[in-house]
Amino acid sequence: MTTAAAPARLRGGPWPAFAARRLTRFAVSLWALVTAAFLMIHLVPGDPVRAALGMTAPADLVRAKRLELGLDDPLWVQYGHYLRGLVTGDLGTSMASGQPVTQVIGDRLPATLQLAVPAFAVVVAVAIPVGLTFAVLTRGGRRRGSELAFTSVSAFLAAVPEFLVAVALVALLAVGLGWFPVAGGDGASAYVLPVAALATGPSAVLARIVRVELLSVLGADFVRTARAKRLPARLVYVRHALPNALTATLTLGGLMLTGMVAGTVLVENVFAWPGLGSTIVQSILQKDYPLVQGIVLVYGVGVLLVNLLVDVVLGLLDPRSAIREA
Amino acid sequence: MSALEFDAVSVRYGRLTAVDGVSLTVPSGQVVGLVGESGSGKSTLARAAAGLAPVSAGRVRLDGVDVRRLPRRRPLQMVFQDPYSSLDPRMAIGESIAEAMPRGAGRRAEVARLLELVNLDPDRADMLPGRLSGGQRQRVALARALAGRPKVLIADEITSALDVSVQGAVLNLVRDVQRRLALSMLFISHNLAVVRYVSDVVAVMYLGRIVEAGPAAQVLTDPQHPYTRDLLAAAPSAHRSLLDDTGDDPLADTEPADPHHPPSGCRYHPRCPIGPLAHPDRTVCVTTDPAGEAAGRSHSAACHFAAGHPTRRSA
Amino acid sequence: MARRGTWAAALRTPVGACSAVLLALVVVLAALAPLLWGEGAAAIDTDAIGQGPSGAHPFGTDSLGRDLLLRTLVATRLSVGLAVLATAIGAGTGVVLGTLPSVLPRRVGRLLTAVVDIAVAFPGLLLALFLAVIFGVGTHGAVLAIGFATAPAFARLVQTLSASVSGRDFVAAARIAGVGRIRLLARHVLPNIGEPLVVNATIGAGSALLAFAGLSFLGIGVQAPDYDWGRLLREGLDGIYVTPVAALAPAAAVVLAGLAFNLVGETVAAVVGVRTHATRRGAPPLPAAPSAPGEPPADAVLVVENLRVAFPGPSGWTVPVRGVSFSVRAGEAIGVVGESGSGKSLTALAVSRLVEAPGLVTADRLEFAGKALAEASDRELGTALAMVFQDPMTSFNPARRVGGQLAEVSEQHHGLSRRQAFARAVDRLAAVRVPAPERRARQYPHEFSGGMRQRAMIGMGLMGRPKLIVADEPTTALDVTVQRQVLRLLARTREAEGAAILLISHDIAVVAQTCERMLVMYAGRIVEDLPSGAAAQHPYTRALLATTVDLDTDRDRPLEVIPGRPPEPGQVPEGCAFAARCPLASDRCRAEDPVLEPAGDGHRVACWHPQVTVLSGQSQEEGAA
Repeated sequence: MTTAAAPARLRGGPWPAFAARRLTRFAVSLWALVTAAFLMIHLVPGDPVRAALGMTAPADLVRAKRLELGLDDPLWVQYGHYLRGLVTGDLGTSMASGQPVTQVIGDRLPATLQLAVPAFAVVVAVAIPVGLTFAVLTRGGRRRGSELAFTSVSAFLAAVPEFLVAVALVALLAVGLGWFPVAGGDGASAYVLPVAALATGPSAVLARIVRVELLSVLGADFVRTARAKRLPARLVYVRHALPNALTATLTLGGLMLTGMVAGTVLVENVFAWPGLGSTIVQSILQKDYPLVQGIVLVYGVGVLLVNLLVDVVLGLLDPRSAIREA
Repeated sequence: MSALEFDAVSVRYGRLTAVDGVSLTVPSGQVVGLVGESGSGKSTLARAAAGLAPVSAGRVRLDGVDVRRLPRRRPLQMVFQDPYSSLDPRMAIGESIAEAMPRGAGRRAEVARLLELVNLDPDRADMLPGRLSGGQRQRVALARALAGRPKVLIADEITSALDVSVQGAVLNLVRDVQRRLALSMLFISHNLAVVRYVSDVVAVMYLGRIVEAGPAAQVLTDPQHPYTRDLLAAAPSAHRSLLDDTGDDPLADTEPADPHHPPSGCRYHPRCPIGPLAHPDRTVCVTTDPAGEAAGRSHSAACHFAAGHPTRRSA
Repeated sequence: MARRGTWAAALRTPVGACSAVLLALVVVLAALAPLLWGEGAAAIDTDAIGQGPSGAHPFGTDSLGRDLLLRTLVATRLSVGLAVLATAIGAGTGVVLGTLPSVLPRRVGRLLTAVVDIAVAFPGLLLALFLAVIFGVGTHGAVLAIGFATAPAFARLVQTLSASVSGRDFVAAARIAGVGRIRLLARHVLPNIGEPLVVNATIGAGSALLAFAGLSFLGIGVQAPDYDWGRLLREGLDGIYVTPVAALAPAAAVVLAGLAFNLVGETVAAVVGVRTHATRRGAPPLPAAPSAPGEPPADAVLVVENLRVAFPGPSGWTVPVRGVSFSVRAGEAIGVVGESGSGKSLTALAVSRLVEAPGLVTADRLEFAGKALAEASDRELGTALAMVFQDPMTSFNPARRVGGQLAEVSEQHHGLSRRQAFARAVDRLAAVRVPAPERRARQYPHEFSGGMRQRAMIGMGLMGRPKLIVADEPTTALDVTVQRQVLRLLARTREAEGAAILLISHDIAVVAQTCERMLVMYAGRIVEDLPSGAAAQHPYTRALLATTVDLDTDRDRPLEVIPGRPPEPGQVPEGCAFAARCPLASDRCRAEDPVLEPAGDGHRVACWHPQVTVLSGQSQEEGAA
């Protein structure tokens, strides 16, 4: 008869609700992305086909192209076609090359991933140990010198955009010293400069985040509790401080990771890398709208997936995060 | 003459019912003290009266008028708990006070008068709150509340962020002002001793309900509800030792209930020393809500066995 | 008050000064360079096409023989101007998007927030590319694209900042006072978020500059014959084998200008947020401590003589604990009372060896269990000294299970296996009356109530065999009924384990109820050390007792008050620190600091005018209620 005394907050896991909520958000964002990509072509002032083919194109060619793209149908009919095409994997055809957009993306996406994935691995491998080390060294206002050195160097690296790092690396290591190819090329050496260019800024940003988060965790009450238990310093940092700093690090790191997706665009252009990034710029300049639309979608989905992944990992790491949203 | 009436007021935030059908009257010119632990809904009730919390059922009336229909400058003002967050750090204190006044000339003089009323030097009107101590800020907050020419004043834990040596001065001031201006006041605190000192009427809140209410002297000397008795016994006092009253009572370590999932029947039954834990035959506490018959009992106590005596056997 | 000076203060730091000079240089160049060198930069020289650096052309020439140094300098105006314009568009749109939800009807506001939420998940460059398609390739398109691409981030910032301001009580007070929504926004919310917004806009201008260079570099931004740094960079990259400096000069310009904006913003942000004033170091002042140390009792677990704790501050060292001496005997319960800032919590941390650098602890004698505290091993302290902290919500690691957090004490100090240690943790949880300890041990701290967490914290101390439990405001965050449970548990634990207790509290009643002896602290000193039942002699202790409201306070009389307020730790006056508030203060009190001296049986007091008579104000008759 006293069962009511048992705290009721222990019933059922919050996971299903968390997953449902998070997936709904993903779906809504995806819908917004798709709709934005669809509308993009209609927001272009004037006639996109005329813009793409140029002022000198014959009128019937323009008309034929408009018909082919279905631009004369009512907007909602076009929207329906577009969604149906998406589901069946049909993103239209490139106006410049006549190739199906999916085929162009299929050709170029692997090159971009070959840049982004190693760069991300480098960022994680460099930033977390560096951030941890400097947090421990400079906690509680110790070693002002190291702190100043770390903050100024990392601030500088974080502020320099990828394409400038790339240019500097090319000028120094490829042109100046001739160690690496300037652009293109095969084999591992071709990857070094692009990956370095892509990873430098984010590594600096992430290392700063790790340090700042860890410093704030090191000031938390529970770290004092851990010290009151007289645990060895190693355990205090690795077991108590780091996991709690990682939650915030991941949240901010996720944003940074999506920034890296965009960073590939610039880096690919410096190194003439045959990925999606150089393709999207070309197609913007050529006003090849179906192709731009397709690549924007791919990048957008990439960003959404990264966000979803970060949230799921957060939910796994932090026992409160799933509940906190409830 | 201005009485503040809560008529079966409920406040819900999502699935949490913070205030559940509370009826309470603050009679004109009197001080009603509202006491209860954190999460009991006492601050939410105050915020509902001030229009800061959504009233999902029932009505709050000031002189018979629903507070939601009051003019924007309502004759009901509030002083908050945290003196460091209740004043705009970028606004001179005089301006904060003036902002609460009805439009019209003579603001500057009125600000000076109010500052004097709360024992602050009128020359300080141009100061930013950053230069004031916690106790001084609380006086400014009181002056701002008075600037709105209120008939009813709500004081929400106004001394809990202050040190003891400052607390006394603020309490004296509030009591003095209340008497001088014949304000009706709802005085909220978790500290029973402070409530006792200030109030004419005491109401005790537990898990969103008022479990006992009555004249201060009676409620505190002859408590009807077991929760009130527990509160009285737990109040720290330099004159009583900790281990005096109870021995190794298992009830002494019971947990407060979760407001998200209030217990059935009487909400206090999982902790009650005279409830089903101590008397297994008192199943009525688990099955029947004692609030229904409360009006008929002494101090409107929401307890089937108020003051230890069963009020109604047929459950 | 100090806010007005934050920008100035930021500019006085070395980094701030450098970046401000840099920024000023950029602005001057933007204004003057086109006027001075505009023609020179446009002069085509067919005899000097694509040359490397030379005396006449320090950075070489481009494919039309134009001087690259001049072109880089002249490009400052367009590069910086466009960036500032884009930032203005972004910040303006962001402020509107961010504040509208608080003014619009609730549903429209929510929709707007959701849209911003989705947009903010996408990186700025991607948004800018997307918008560049819509606005068209070229300068106008790029300005709008970058402006609108940064708007969601600004909107989010405005929302977060104004939500935190709106949640504060002064906004609630203004609402009750009848202040309308628009005025609320204009007078209370915006002024309080203005500073961080301006700081972020400054940093944002740096980012916009870099983004613009990126777009121009890609060929989507500024179009020929106009040129900004990004365009120069793109032209330079084509000839990087021949004249690397042609690419490096505009690159360096972009980086320097971007950094100037970034650093100015970040230094100000740092000063606003953390107020990292340069701290002056040097030896802390250790004035001679007036103390009369007697020989500590033989069975003392804790002996403290002339303890001081100092912290480096902006204007030299502050000493919040200024020479504290006491001892705790085995099994004794001692309370430390005082107002906030009296140094009581720091004393507790110092005797537990938990004050970290840059805080500095010194003492003539500081011994735990008959041994210098500084030399005690971690194992000894970890098992014999238990701590209970004020806030049970934050004192457990939120990411680890409660049982594990208890168990690691025994894993570490008793060499138990994980399983054995966990079993002991369950046993200890049971000992502190946590119901269903087996199940509870596997839960996370957030699944515990406040009182239960505090009990688990005591249980953590019982993993060893504590000789001393230091409890720092253990019940301040708890409700009275729970407070009683925790205090009783401490008392029972003391009985069962024979542990001494050092209880820190601001509540003199709590201490009187729990402890045999109390130390009253004021401004970093012990002013009185008295048995709990004894009549206080120090005017401060008497005043504290008199101001405490309890259930027996006379309702018909005004409450006692202590005029004035305690001195700040940095500004303790000569003589007795309480003299300024003391009704009995004489000239001697203001000149000479009284020493804590024996004043009867187990009683010490630091006062030139101790009061030996019993106070009559505190009537005891009503106590029977």
